[in-house]
Amino acid sequence: MNLKLSTAIAAGKVAYWLSRFRGYQGSSLPGKAARRLYSGTLHDLAKKVRKGIIVISGTNGKTTTGNMVAEILMDAGYSIVANREGANMIAGVTTSFVMSAALWGSIDCDYAVLEVDEASMPLVLAEVTPVVIVLTNFFRDQLDRYWELDKVVGVIRDAIKICKKTTLILNADDPLVAQFPITTGLRSLFFGLGRQESSTSASSQTRESKFCPICGTALTYDYFHYGQLGDYHCPGCGFTRPSPQLEAVELNVVPGGTRCRIFYEQQAVELVIPTQGVYNIYNALAAFLTGLHLGINTQSILSSLGRHQSVTGRMELFTHLGKPVYLCLVKNPTGFNQGIATLCAAEGIKNVFIIINDSEADGRDISWLWDVDFESLGADHRPYQCLICSGQRGEEMALRLKYAGVPVDRISVSKDIRSAIKNVLAGHAGSAYLFSTYTALRPVHKILKQLTAKEDLQ
Amino acid sequence: MIRICHMYPDLLNLYGDSGNIIAFIKRCQWRGISVSVQEISLNDQVNLKEQNFLFLGGGSDRELNLTAADLMKRKKELKEAIEDDLVILAICGGYQLLGQYYLASNGEKIPGLGIMDFFTRAGSRRLVGNIVVEVSIDGLPVKLAGFENHSGYTYLGSCQPLGQVLSGNGNNGQDGLEGARYRNVFCSYLHGPLLPKNARLTDHLINLAMKNAGSNDQLRPLESEIEDQACQAILNRLGFKGITR
Repeated sequence: MNLKLSTAIAAGKVAYWLSRFRGYQGSSLPGKAARRLYSGTLHDLAKKVRKGIIVISGTNGKTTTGNMVAEILMDAGYSIVANREGANMIAGVTTSFVMSAALWGSIDCDYAVLEVDEASMPLVLAEVTPVVIVLTNFFRDQLDRYWELDKVVGVIRDAIKICKKTTLILNADDPLVAQFPITTGLRSLFFGLGRQESSTSASSQTRESKFCPICGTALTYDYFHYGQLGDYHCPGCGFTRPSPQLEAVELNVVPGGTRCRIFYEQQAVELVIPTQGVYNIYNALAAFLTGLHLGINTQSILSSLGRHQSVTGRMELFTHLGKPVYLCLVKNPTGFNQGIATLCAAEGIKNVFIIINDSEADGRDISWLWDVDFESLGADHRPYQCLICSGQRGEEMALRLKYAGVPVDRISVSKDIRSAIKNVLAGHAGSAYLFSTYTALRPVHKILKQLTAKEDLQ
Repeated sequence: MIRICHMYPDLLNLYGDSGNIIAFIKRCQWRGISVSVQEISLNDQVNLKEQNFLFLGGGSDRELNLTAADLMKRKKELKEAIEDDLVILAICGGYQLLGQYYLASNGEKIPGLGIMDFFTRAGSRRLVGNIVVEVSIDGLPVKLAGFENHSGYTYLGSCQPLGQVLSGNGNNGQDGLEGARYRNVFCSYLHGPLLPKNARLTDHLINLAMKNAGSNDQLRPLESEIEDQACQAILNRLGFKGITR
C-alpha cells in the first residue's frame, strides 16, 4: 500500500463530497486535490487498469464517441472507468480514477475510457499510456485560447510520438487527422464515410485545411461531406485519403434516428443509431472500430450503438405536448453548421432559441458566429415562426441573423432564459430547436427538463 | 454601382472577418445600391483601379506569407489605386502587410508592401480581449467595439491612427492608439467582426466608396437598432455609456 497515494485518494473523495454538498458540479476539483498531495496519483492508478486505456481526442465528438465506446465495453461485460463531459483536462481525468479507486489504492477495472481535451494531450500522455488513441477531427475551436489550428495539431502530434505501442484509430476523411501515421510512425486504423448522395464537389463552409499537412500543396477534393472532411488528394506529394478499414455508405435519416450500411473485412452490416446528424455517424464509426480492435463481436457492438442515447445537448430530444424539442451544444462553426443543416432539413414550422455566452469556457471571442452558415436560414425563412436570442451575447446573435437575411420581425432578444424557452415551446410550430454554448447548456437543460417530459425512444 | 473586391477569402478568413463583407453588402443592398463582388485569390487577374472597396482580412502565418508574395506583384497598381482614393479596410494580418516591415521574434525582418508608414514587431505577450476605440467620423466622436487577438505590436510613423483606445490594447498596448489611416485606407486590429456592429463606420466606408464610384448621392438612413444594441452590449460591460456620447 502506497501511503501517499492513499492520502491523495482520500483527499480527492473528501473534496468530491464537499463540493457536492455545496452544490457544485465541480468534477475537476477532486483530481486537483489529489494531485496536490501526490503528483503521481494519475500515473499510479492508470497502471492498475487491467486491459488497457482508450484516449479520445479531437475537436468535435469526443464526449459522444467516449460514451459509445464505454457502452460497447460495458455491454460486453467489462468494467470501466470513464471521465464525464467537461472534465477532460488532466484534473478531470484524475478525478475519474480517484472516484473509482478504493482508499488503499486498488482499482477494479478492465478498461479506462478517457476523453481528453486537445491542449491537455501532452500532460495526460506523459502520465498515462493508452493502448488506443482515437482522433475524431480537427476544426477551429475557441480561437482566443488555442490560436491557430496548425499549432494544436502540432502539439498533439508531438505528444503522441512517444506512445510507441499505441494503435491510432483515425478519421480517414480529415486530412489533418489522417496525416498521423506518416508524421508519428504509429500503427493506425481508419474509419470513414464513403461518397453519399448529399456529398458536394465544393465545400461552402469554412474550410479548415486547404493545404496538404505533409508538403503544403493545395489539396484537391473529389467530394466533401462537411468542413474539410471528404475525399482528398495531394498533387504535390501524393498524400491521399487512406482506404478505411471500416466504411459507412448509404446514409439515411429514419424516424428517430439514422441508418447506414457498414463495410469491414469484406462484410456488410446495417447500423441504426437513435440520433440525428452525420457527425453522430462519425462518432459511431470511431466507437465501432475501437470495439472491433479490442475484440468485441460485431452483433454486440451493433446492439450497443443501437441503444445509444445522446448525452446532454448533443441533439438531445425532449417532447413538449407531443412536439419534439431538440437541444444542441454549439462550440464552433463546424458543429453549429451541422446543427443548422439538421434544423433546415426538418419538416414543418419551427421555432428557434439560440443562447450565446462568452465566458472563458465558451471562448471569449464569438466572431466565429460570422463563419456559421445562418444564410441558409435567411434563404428560406418561411418555416421559422420566431428566433429568440439570449445569453451574454444575445444581441450579437440577433445581429448575425439579421445580416443572414432573417426578417427582423421574427428575431428577438430576451435575457430571461426561462420565459424565452417558454415562448419557443409555445405557439403552433411543429418543433423547436435550441442551440446553446457551453456555459449556458446546464441552465437551459435544467429549464427544459422542468418544462418537458423526456421522450423515451425505446 | 459599387465594385467590391474581397482579397484572398480562401486564405485570409480567420476570426469571422468575412462578416465585414456581409455587412458592407447588406447595408448597400438595403438602400437599393447595387454591388458587385469579386473574390480574388493568388494569381487571379483583377484591375484594382476599377474597384471601389477592397477588403483584406487576417490569416495564420503560412497564409499571410502566401498572400504577401502575391500582393507584392500588385504593389504598384495597389499604390496607384490608393492615391486615386480606393476605399480599403484591412484587418489584423492584412493591416500589417500594408506597413514597412514585420520584425519576427527570431530577428528576421519580413518586408511589407511599404504603402503606409508603420512597422510591426512580434510582441512578448499576446493581446487578446474585448476592445473599445473612439474614432472620428465626419468630425463626430464615435465608439467602436470589437475583439482583438494579435501578437504583433504595431508602431505608427507619419500615418494617422484609426482612433484612440478607451479600453483594451490596440496597436501595441502602450501608446493608446489603434489602427492606422491614410487617404481612404482604414486599418484595424478589431475583429468581432468590425463592421456589422459598428454601423456608423460601415456607412462611412460606403459613402466614401460611392464617391469613389462617382456618385454624390446621400446615403438613406437605415434602422440600426440591433446593430447598436450589439455594440452597446460591449460598451456596457466595459463601463461606457453611449456610442456617440
